[in-house]
Amino acid sequence: MALEPIPSAPILSTREDAQAPKKKKIKTTKVVNGVDTEVEIEVDDVPTVAWPERSKLRVLNHDIPRVDGPDKVSGAARYTHDVRLPGMVYAQILVSPLPRAKVVKLDVEAARKVKGVVHVLVIQGESTGWLGDPVAAVAAETLEAAQDGLRALAPKFEALPWSVDHETATKSGAPAVTKNGNLGKPETDGDETKARAALQASPTRVKATYQVPIQHHACLETHGVVVDYRGGTEATVYCSTQYTHGFAAEAAEVLGLPASSVTGINEHMGGGFGSKFGMDKQGQVACQIAKELKRPVHLMLGRREEFLMSGNRSGGIQTIEAGCEADGKFTGFLVQAFKHGGLGRGSLAALPYCYSAAEHYRSVQSVRMHLDANRAMRAPGSPQASFPMESIVDELAYAAGIDLVAIRKRNLPRDASWQRQLDRAAREIGWADHPHKTKPGPALGTECIGIGFGVSAWGGGGADECEVEVRIERDGSVVTACGSQDLGTGTRTYMAAITAEEFGLPVAAVAARLGNSRLGNSVASGGSVTTASLAPAVKDAAAKARVAFATHLAAVLGLPGDGFRFEPEGILHDGAKAPTAMSWKKACGTLPAEGLRANGRWVESLASRGVNCTQAARVAVDPGTGRVLVLHMVCVQEVGLPLNRLALRSQIQGGMIQALGYAISEGRVIDPVLGIQLNPNFEDYKVPHALEIPRMTAIIDDEDTRQGVIGVGEPPVIPGAGAIANAVHNACGARVRELPITPDKVLQALGKVV
Amino acid sequence: MKSFRLVNPTTLDEAIDFASDRAAGSSKFLAGGQDLLTEMKEHLSGPDRVVNLKSIPGLDALDSSGGSLRIGALTTLSRIERDAAVRAHWTALAEAAHSVASPQIRTCGTIGGNLCQRPRCWYYRLEEANCLKKGGTECFSYGGLNKYNAILGGGPTYIVHPSDLAPALVALGAEIVLRSKSGERRMPLEKFYVLPADGDVTKETVLADGEIVTEIVVPKPAAGTRSTYVKFKERESYDFALSAVGASVVLEGGKVAAARLCLGAVAPVPWRVERAEKVLVGRVLDETAAREAANEALRGAEPLSQNAYKVPLTKTLVERALLALAR
Ligand SMILES: Cc1cc2nc3c(=O)[nH]c(=O)nc-3n(C[C@H](O)[C@H](O)[C@H](O)COP(=O)(O)OP(=O)(O)OC[C@H]3O[C@@H](n4cnc5c(N)ncnc54)[C@H](O)[C@@H]3O)c2cc1C
Repeated sequence: MALEPIPSAPILSTREDAQAPKKKKIKTTKVVNGVDTEVEIEVDDVPTVAWPERSKLRVLNHDIPRVDGPDKVSGAARYTHDVRLPGMVYAQILVSPLPRAKVVKLDVEAARKVKGVVHVLVIQGESTGWLGDPVAAVAAETLEAAQDGLRALAPKFEALPWSVDHETATKSGAPAVTKNGNLGKPETDGDETKARAALQASPTRVKATYQVPIQHHACLETHGVVVDYRGGTEATVYCSTQYTHGFAAEAAEVLGLPASSVTGINEHMGGGFGSKFGMDKQGQVACQIAKELKRPVHLMLGRREEFLMSGNRSGGIQTIEAGCEADGKFTGFLVQAFKHGGLGRGSLAALPYCYSAAEHYRSVQSVRMHLDANRAMRAPGSPQASFPMESIVDELAYAAGIDLVAIRKRNLPRDASWQRQLDRAAREIGWADHPHKTKPGPALGTECIGIGFGVSAWGGGGADECEVEVRIERDGSVVTACGSQDLGTGTRTYMAAITAEEFGLPVAAVAARLGNSRLGNSVASGGSVTTASLAPAVKDAAAKARVAFATHLAAVLGLPGDGFRFEPEGILHDGAKAPTAMSWKKACGTLPAEGLRANGRWVESLASRGVNCTQAARVAVDPGTGRVLVLHMVCVQEVGLPLNRLALRSQIQGGMIQALGYAISEGRVIDPVLGIQLNPNFEDYKVPHALEIPRMTAIIDDEDTRQGVIGVGEPPVIPGAGAIANAVHNACGARVRELPITPDKVLQALGKVV
Repeated sequence: MKSFRLVNPTTLDEAIDFASDRAAGSSKFLAGGQDLLTEMKEHLSGPDRVVNLKSIPGLDALDSSGGSLRIGALTTLSRIERDAAVRAHWTALAEAAHSVASPQIRTCGTIGGNLCQRPRCWYYRLEEANCLKKGGTECFSYGGLNKYNAILGGGPTYIVHPSDLAPALVALGAEIVLRSKSGERRMPLEKFYVLPADGDVTKETVLADGEIVTEIVVPKPAAGTRSTYVKFKERESYDFALSAVGASVVLEGGKVAAARLCLGAVAPVPWRVERAEKVLVGRVLDETAAREAANEALRGAEPLSQNAYKVPLTKTLVERALLALAR
């Protein structure tokens, strides 16, 4: 029988259908008088949602091009920076040029007199406490007038003593950040006596000190906001943020409006990497000015201010003493670590990181300085731990004469996926044919080839925080909506794809709406939790919409509700003999005027957590110049259920690139005497560009067959720097223990600098 | 950026008049703007008037028909790097032009602007550091963070000259032509640059206020001439040199009849090393000769606390440049 639509049939509200599940009876065990007994109980008849088997997926687990790609490359995508509103003013911020200073002069009157300036706000007129501490803001009719206004303030600062380097900050009597001084109380774990004894008894022992610089998030779009408030009871804030809902709520507070009256909008954003969770000072200032002027305010940080005041990945120094048995088994680890997180505590994962040792002892201290506080940055604390750890693993391996892959496998859990990943990475990078497996190559010629390895782990699980709506209109259009944000990771794309999969539709037939706090709640996007929190809720909503749609069609067509299949060729019914497809459009035409809506929430069984990752790097070192050219990077990573393989590989590649920058070129440089940052721009702060990008092999570890979604953005940024540092050493014997590995350090390590 | 008036002269004389009119305030010549605009944005330069040289016709000639190479000051780097005659006969210049920044910058940047560009020293480039170069009292690089600074010819400032074209042109024996109210002067390019110890530390050249670079003239190479420019940078994508060498040799019967070597990014001026040139004359250009010349080129280097690596690095570059010419 052909499924013919009956356009004007009476229809029950599908929303109620979806939300009032029937009851069903299930069997379960119950302890009765101390004995397990099987009993029958009644529960809600909610169809259990599950991801289809991987082989049955039509859209998901394939390469899905980014749905917003064309908008991004054509410039149609509107970022916060791009927002222009009638009557809008531009605001700019003056920051402390010194780590600590008394503000001795701020010529507010002169600034007010600058043509176009409409408002001058003194944020703190007395003293400043860190390099980049906001001092004043000026709002004007144009960006240029606002900048002129800042200069007209002709600020004069009187230096107060500061600590911006490890040596100064840890001296007794050093200019202190807190009243307890700069050196935090040591946090320890493990047993020192046992660790020392284990080391003493080790046939092979090494000791070395490793240093990592402060790394910047280097978001292409600087931090900032456009506040649309013109007086009255409503406001809209356009924000470059990792937490659209949180931002709107914070803005409401500063504007003095109920949270329900403020809308946060974040359609596209140019990077966050952990630095954009809150509205920060610049957001507060923009709201204050908007409230005062009753005009929209555009406040995006300039590049220098971005470098100084928007957070960073903490740096640090770690001294490690480690030992192993003749077979490579780690015996003892002794670690003394210092974290450099500016005003913050810094962040550092525990050693021996993914590996295990018979005994370990670790003491970690924060060293405070008069610099902006560290913030979360893609896998907080982990690259800082991985680089020294992977380095010392190699140092032990060479000292004991053990193959670099073998020593890793020896000290990672036998049943862990790293074992197979190391084999795969070794194969892809060409380890079998590499001549230097147990000692580095000689520093001869112009191109010494070396290989290095590293491993990492991350959680990436989700939580019940997202509310998703799937909406089907009478004309056949479909929308998946949630207030979440797309950090550039592909959130929008899988929101459309999951719904498309459910209904047998092409991805392009589903619109994804996000980046608006009026839409359903969502998580803050950090710690790789977004996908594992949001994707299950999308699936839940889509599945509920499908059930509701089937129930509706069943009523319209007089067929049993559970026989419907939504396929690319149309909607089929299993119960009908020789089914003829009913087109999606025709079926939707039977819906009531308001269409069909279903709401979804997180379903624990649709998500999973815990990802292992292994990387290998092949480099060429020129011992005559110290040049390091990364030739090839390989990453093998678990991902749980792959939603979009293209986006997954893209995340992995992005992680490898960020690790490459950390390894060979990035790092904040501060002159401790003048108290200024010497590289607060993209000319001198060297992120990798097109010509730095090596061949990249991003491999999804498909032996991970978990049918749950996991966030994957953090693991690939972790092991790359250690792998590259190890490859440099493997190539020619240059062990550089301080990142970034620049030519001067390589020449130094080779003993060429006298 | 400070507000300024943009003037568009149509003749050289008019441009010189504009720039010499002190009553109208300070002025700066604008060529491709790739350096000047960054200086103005950072408030290192704040002219009242910007005199646009691009509005003057005829300043962008590139002509080798007479045997020597005449390059108008406004000729862009991308034109120079692509010109077939330059690539064939003045190879070092083509290679140097190609090594500058990025294609986008080379499309706008000119040879005149490249030779007159200001230093890139961290301290000089930051407005907050009132260094000697900017009229302050101290060269902060001397006791500060100096990995990019000078190992030769430094003091009292330790900037390095950033131009890639200059060392190549010095190696090719180029001359520079200047024009001002008091007429035209012409000099070997190496005389155009002055060491901080020999003149005004806030300047790098002999260029007077209101004086314009009009042309660069590179002599016709003698038979048997080969030249190259070897640049080493920290990052493959756009970057300034950590060290560089422009080299030109005349080979006759397998031996060096004449040589010119000029180092870049190691001294406040393009650093010609005549003693190293002498080492080569009359010899077969082999590894030993190259090594001796390299050692000679770096003799007298006085590294600061963090840039001693430039010594072995530059030696490597000199050796490699010479051996490349021998091939
Ligand atoms: C990101 C970046 C990377 C760079 N990398 C390199 C590099 O690797 N190597 C390198 O050599 N350079 C580099 N540069 C520097 C430089 O901008 C270019 O080399 C370019 O050639 C400058 O030429 P311009 O025509 O744009 O000069 P402008 O900016 O117009 O002028 C520069 C200076 O010269 C003066 N001037 C210009 N023309 C004349 C003239 N005819 N007579 C008198 N004075 C004149 C101007 O007043 C100004 O002071 C880089 C610049 C940037 C921004």
